Amino acid sequence: MSLDHRLEAQNLCAGYEKQAILDDVSIALPAGKITAIVGGNASGKSTLLRTLTRILPSVSGSVLLDGQSVHAMPSRKLAQIMGLLPQSPIAPEGITVADLVGRGRHPHHSLFSRWGAADDHAVEQALRATGIEKLAEREIDTLSGGQRQRAWIAMALAQETDLLLLDEPTTFLDVSHQIEVLDLLVDMNTSRGTTIAMVLHDLNLAARYADHLIAVADRGIHAEGPPSEILTESMVKAVFGLESRIITDPVSGTPSMVPIGRHKVVSRSCNRKIA
Amino acid sequence: MSIAITFPAPRTAPRRRINRRSALVLCLLGGGVIFLFALTLSCGRGCLAPSAVLSALFGSDSAGASFVVNDLRFPRAAMSIVTGLCFGLGGVAFQVMLRNPLASPDIVGISASAGAAAVFAIVILSLNGWIVSLVAVCAGLLVAFTIWGLSSGRGGAGGRLILVGIGISAMLDSVTAYIILEAPEWDRVEALRWLTGSVNGAQLSEVAPVFAAFILFGGLLAVSARDLDVLRLGDDTARALGVGADKTRLLVTLAAVGLVAFATSASGPIAFVAFLSGPIASRLLGGSTGILAASALTGAILVLAGDFTGQFLLPARLPVGVVTGAVGAPFLLYLIVRANKNGGSI
Repeated sequence: MSLDHRLEAQNLCAGYEKQAILDDVSIALPAGKITAIVGGNASGKSTLLRTLTRILPSVSGSVLLDGQSVHAMPSRKLAQIMGLLPQSPIAPEGITVADLVGRGRHPHHSLFSRWGAADDHAVEQALRATGIEKLAEREIDTLSGGQRQRAWIAMALAQETDLLLLDEPTTFLDVSHQIEVLDLLVDMNTSRGTTIAMVLHDLNLAARYADHLIAVADRGIHAEGPPSEILTESMVKAVFGLESRIITDPVSGTPSMVPIGRHKVVSRSCNRKIA
Repeated sequence: MSIAITFPAPRTAPRRRINRRSALVLCLLGGGVIFLFALTLSCGRGCLAPSAVLSALFGSDSAGASFVVNDLRFPRAAMSIVTGLCFGLGGVAFQVMLRNPLASPDIVGISASAGAAAVFAIVILSLNGWIVSLVAVCAGLLVAFTIWGLSSGRGGAGGRLILVGIGISAMLDSVTAYIILEAPEWDRVEALRWLTGSVNGAQLSEVAPVFAAFILFGGLLAVSARDLDVLRLGDDTARALGVGADKTRLLVTLAAVGLVAFATSASGPIAFVAFLSGPIASRLLGGSTGILAASALTGAILVLAGDFTGQFLLPARLPVGVVTGAVGAPFLLYLIVRANKNGGSI
């Protein structure tokens, strides 16, 4: 697996009909790293992710993979390099976990190629990496939310792409399952060198798990860089419109944001303290 | 770790086992088609021994038997099979593509449009043969795209697409009924064919175009089958796996409408065969692969069994569409009730 696939957006304008959601955005996903995209509701973070994977067309500007426009690439070739886990994928009724994970092999097949040992191997690896080997024959409908999400991630793993983009992979999961999914992504990143980019709602988990943070606000990128550099009180204020205090996460040593609301504040002075 | 020893690692077993199940189901369905085909050839108002049927089929002329088998029963059985294959395949393609068993061509007006167009072409334009089928295909495509346009929810089929389709279906059925009333030279049997579907009086010359359509459009579907399968995971996932959702939908629509329209212009809109085949096949397969082939075979079985039942097992002789309609309607009710509870996909 090579690490040097580079996905970038240049002067990207994107959005839905007549309504620009992103205006003149230029970013690059650091290869071999984990990037988290954060921002308020409807700030355009999902749009950014979806435009990067070609699911949404760009209005103007370009999305480049290794310098080549993704819109000019054959779909199957692109799908061999870049995978995406959408926000709400649909599982057909009655499909088993192994079968669903096997669907991830689709881009590696043409009309006349048959399922082979490499496919078996990829599915097996994906099931093992996500810890759901024992569930392989279960139907998706019978799984818990966390198990189901792991099955979807396993499908994306079986696709064996060097780049994996995930749209809110932890939504609807309780906190232990969120940690489980994020740990799994770090495993993938360290063991295979997969470049990962994901939209995350939880700023603190984003800061803990990502090497690179992209904060989206006002139809553009407000800040990007390592969490330790860009997660500041002024950034939170600008991106989320929220007063906060940044402390050091005692577990991970990464910055952690403590929100300050109108109530339940013991000491106002603490938000003056420099983190 | 003692548990791990008692459970063999799944490895590649699940996939192999699933394939075995589809092979078994396909063999059973194929066997069912052959059995019903043989039954239709040998049993009618009088029964013939298998040997008599074979000798009649392969040329030795034993007066009456040859006429009954070669001119009456064989075209009828062949027509039942090819229309059943077409309806079953076309139906399940729509149901899978739109992720909704209610979105079958006979519910959402594709069959109705093909039927109305065929009747229009025959009665008003005095056309016959291939041209009728082509008119039916064009009408089917027109209606399909009209429904897509009106319901404009791209991707899965919400209630809106179904309701728009049912409305259009009702309109077109009344067009068919009106034209039939304007065609005084038609007898009751011919009229029934266009209202409910029948393989009565089938000719081998009518079977050929339907068979050709099955090969052509069925082939097109077979080529798109892998992409169609991935489309079931949702448009976004399909795109992420390198499948162009819109292109696949266009190809599948074309193929399914072609299948249903050709079959309809030969046998009339045999009620609910397209609608029933997919869900039956899906339950037999239990989520494993091969839904398209299984559904096509199920369609052939439904038409053969329905026709045999209508001819010989009921007190009155009824066209096949009446029988399949009687079976299909309760299932439609069941699905509507169930669809209210969950989003219900096939």
